[in-house]
Amino acid sequence: MKNRLRVLRAEKDWTQAQLAEIVGVSRHAVIAVENGKYDPALPLAFKLARAFGKTVEDVFVWEDGSLQEK
Amino acid sequence: MPLTTRNSIGPIRTLLIVLCFAAAIDIGASWLLGKPGFGSHARIVFALLPIPANLALVAVIVRTIRQLDEFLRHVHLEAVAIAFLLTALAVSVYEDLQKARVVGPLNIGIMWIFMAVFYGVGYVIAVRHYR
Repeated sequence: MKNRLRVLRAEKDWTQAQLAEIVGVSRHAVIAVENGKYDPALPLAFKLARAFGKTVEDVFVWEDGSLQEK
Repeated sequence: MPLTTRNSIGPIRTLLIVLCFAAAIDIGASWLLGKPGFGSHARIVFALLPIPANLALVAVIVRTIRQLDEFLRHVHLEAVAIAFLLTALAVSVYEDLQKARVVGPLNIGIMWIFMAVFYGVGYVIAVRHYR
């Protein structure tokens, strides 16, 4: 799963620590998600999306074509 | 990446205090059990003395884990899983060495060291994986 966190965060001029504070997680969580090393559960995905005023689909991109075909 | 909750270091301080308290009682009880001159009832009391503090430690650890965010819980879960498997492997190897009469009986106290070291190993592996 890919995400646009880094781009959206840059647009807002937020640091990783600031974003972490806003969504209520550790900075390590933001770093791991941003680097694509960790896929967040739905509650965190929604929190991250809402922090930017976006939908989950705007922030996270599911790339598995087989699931989309279903 | 330390074991930190998302909001404060308060829970960590509580954990360390309870850990030190439980360890002190464990050491004290062990010291008393090593002393001669106590009756069997007293020795049973000394043996059971560490239970309340250690149960408190379990409660504090569980509370601390629940205060972690989902990512840190994930990292610590991997560390625990790796520590569990490596400890099981180490005990199995030790048992075989014991059968081969290379080593003596396993000291249960050493298990703590195995678990702590392997937890550290598991933690480093998990952190590197998500870096």
